[in-house]
Amino acid sequence: MIKKFIHQFASPKTYLFQVNKFYNYIFFISVFIYISSITWGLLFTPEDFVQGNSFRIIYLHVPASFISQSLYAAMAVSSIVYLVWRVKLAAYLVIAIAPIGAMTTFIALISGSIWGIPTWGTWWQWDARITSTLILFIMYLGLISFHNSFSNYEKADKLLSWLVIVGAVNIPIIKKSVDWWSTLHQSASITLTNKPSIDPSMLYPLIGSIIGFFGLILCLVLLSSKNQILIREKTKSWIKDYV
Amino acid sequence: MKIIRLEFLKLKKKTRTWLGPVLVFWLMMIAYPLTVEFLQEKLEVGFFSVLWIAILISMMLATEDIFLEDFNDGTLEQIMIKTSSFSTLVSVKILTYWIFVGIPISILSFIFSFGTTEDLALSLMIFPLSIISSYIFLNLFVMGNALSLNKGSVLGALVTMPLALPVLIVLGKSIIAIQLSINYLGFIFLLLGCLSIIIVTVPLVVSYIIKAHLE
Repeated sequence: MIKKFIHQFASPKTYLFQVNKFYNYIFFISVFIYISSITWGLLFTPEDFVQGNSFRIIYLHVPASFISQSLYAAMAVSSIVYLVWRVKLAAYLVIAIAPIGAMTTFIALISGSIWGIPTWGTWWQWDARITSTLILFIMYLGLISFHNSFSNYEKADKLLSWLVIVGAVNIPIIKKSVDWWSTLHQSASITLTNKPSIDPSMLYPLIGSIIGFFGLILCLVLLSSKNQILIREKTKSWIKDYV
Repeated sequence: MKIIRLEFLKLKKKTRTWLGPVLVFWLMMIAYPLTVEFLQEKLEVGFFSVLWIAILISMMLATEDIFLEDFNDGTLEQIMIKTSSFSTLVSVKILTYWIFVGIPISILSFIFSFGTTEDLALSLMIFPLSIISSYIFLNLFVMGNALSLNKGSVLGALVTMPLALPVLIVLGKSIIAIQLSINYLGFIFLLLGCLSIIIVTVPLVVSYIIKAHLE
């Protein structure tokens, strides 16, 4: 059943038409959620009693950090799907996600640095969380340059998929770095198992900003994957009709 | 057994491949004191950082053309046609390189460590750390070189270097553990745990990667 579903949805043609159908809805809903959450967070949330107004950068930093790791996990899942079921679309998704993953990781690092100046008194610290996130950024860049170095797309896809799967080992390291090492970076305020340690007045706009940011990044992934399909399937007759 | 002997003979003949990285390691360790003043305490401050990075770079150099010759002369294709186990070949290659490059470098690490710190106990503790870490680095760079088989070793190093960085962090922490006399064995077991996973997974992954290159 899973195989049937994957093969049905994984046709680049079906995917492209489905994306066109849903893209506008996802985009406008995400813009609405993100703008309202950001507005809520920046204008109506009370000041933090220790950090003052500087804490408000969480509405950019937390979604960017969360999504940078999630995108890598999505790449790893797509790589497995490509190597196991030979679904071409999964390979397109891997390379479509990589630059967006690099961008979100960069946003996470920069916003973290900006936040670090007023709270830690330094814009950079070689602690485990920050260093492992920097490693993730370098890995994204490495993956992009690796894929670009091959002229044979099929070979590049296969090798890239293996590399992504091996590199996925970095994701749990980033996630657990604040628990495994004594770091300057604080531990997670929102977990699946425990009650959030953040006040609800700050929590709700944060959840909204994560959802909104996720939606916007999803839109970018959809556009990037559409781009990949148009490049890679350009010789197919249906693409000529589509364009 | 035959494959081990064959790989040993092949590497023994390629003197530049195994001697080069050892000499580069030696030169890096000799160059280090020249960049700081010859005061004992100043030398000791950065010594271990330089040591781990020198091991990392030497292992990167050692694996530069680990599969290239076999790939160019068709040996890898022959093995694939014969359906011999690729992962066994990869494991044997890594083991051979470790014996020729990793072990001499680890012995040199002990000597340089003793020469710099004049602390025999500390230097004896450095030896197993360098033995294990050199094997881990070797495995990682072998994977990188398999990925970028005919694209040059820089690309391979670029994509696998980030995976080696957590090992460097652990090595740095283990030095602090030795200096404070806390949980040194814990770090050794952590590295051994990583190594045991890598020893099994890397040859398998590398064999799939080489097959992808040959298909």
